Amino acid sequence: MLKFIFSLSLVCVSLLGNAQTKDTAKVLYPERYGLRLGVDLHKIARAFYEKDYRGLEVVGDYRLTKKFYIAGEIGNEDKTIDDDRLNFTTKGTYFKVGFDYNSFENWLDMENMIYVGMRYGVSSFSHTLNTYKIYDPTNYYGETIITSGEQYNNLNASWVELIGGIKAELFNNLYLGFSVRLNYLVSNKKPADFDNLFIPGYNRTYDGKFGAGFNYTLSYFIPIYKKKKEIEPIKK
Amino acid sequence: MKKIAFITLSLLLAVSFWNCEKDDICVDGTPVTPRLIIEFYDAANPTVLKNVTNLRVEELNTDNGVVFNEDIDETLPARYLSNGNKIAIPLKTFSETSAFEFIFNYGDAAANTDVITFNYTKDNVYISRACGYKTIFNLIDITPTPFPVSGYWIQDIDIIQSNIETENEVHVKIYF
Repeated sequence: MLKFIFSLSLVCVSLLGNAQTKDTAKVLYPERYGLRLGVDLHKIARAFYEKDYRGLEVVGDYRLTKKFYIAGEIGNEDKTIDDDRLNFTTKGTYFKVGFDYNSFENWLDMENMIYVGMRYGVSSFSHTLNTYKIYDPTNYYGETIITSGEQYNNLNASWVELIGGIKAELFNNLYLGFSVRLNYLVSNKKPADFDNLFIPGYNRTYDGKFGAGFNYTLSYFIPIYKKKKEIEPIKK
Repeated sequence: MKKIAFITLSLLLAVSFWNCEKDDICVDGTPVTPRLIIEFYDAANPTVLKNVTNLRVEELNTDNGVVFNEDIDETLPARYLSNGNKIAIPLKTFSETSAFEFIFNYGDAAANTDVITFNYTKDNVYISRACGYKTIFNLIDITPTPFPVSGYWIQDIDIIQSNIETENEVHVKIYF
């Protein structure tokens, strides 16, 4: 997975390099404003190749100004994690809202994005502890594995995400996007006698407050109105 | 602004690696399931610690000795013998009773076996992703009771700390 993030980040960076060598000629094209809706392809694909996982994420953004977009995600995940010493199932729904800032100066009528953004995410979820092992370093009696079935309900967490990503128009208002996300936990309601080892929308938790995620989206742009690009004096 | 985008992307990339740090190894020194700590005292002089002689502790009706000397090879009997005044024995995490044979002068003609049963309640406590859970115990009683019992080398047993949560304190004192 990390290799995947790495290679796609490289793509982002190289695209960025391209952006800086663009011609500065200004041509007037109308800029379209509207709503873009899509889904996270990675979550859908994972449901096929990874047993014990079901997830769906709907993404959307609305272009507010030339460069700013209000953006958000809403999703649901059901994941069973089989760790060395614990096996548990987490189910939950999450919602993220924030903005994207497009730093890509589009040429002609292209509408691609290389953007940075922020989100505030909230998630409501529950865990079912399926089995766990007792850690007894003497191992005198052999390992004790306990089938629990204990439920931990009404849990929630919230976090801030820092995002970097790209969106490219494939054809006819259809966009393919990729983003990587650095998450920072703001609040985390933990159960007594267990921990939030996985938070839907935030992903795996670590010892600290940081986490990471990414999505791979396919979305459709619905144009609502058009604005002419601002005319800038041509430098000679 | 492009610079900001570049910095953000680089930062995200860096952090994605930094997050690779392993938190799935149960670090030594993490408080895990505690053993029962027993100290031996002189029955004639109950405040004075007394060393046992070739004491071997086995789970009742097994030949499975509790390890007292980790450093000694598994094939040598000395690995399972104590000559000190303090031992640590594991309690069952899947049962509320653990019974042991305390064999004094093990391997000797004068060997004397006392059967001691520990009754307790237990509770499983979450530690971490890497360590899973641990069991802590609350000692209810020790049989046979009361002491002394004829034929036993042990003269008396006292529960000092019934909450067995760490190995840093003595839970039971045995007088002989």
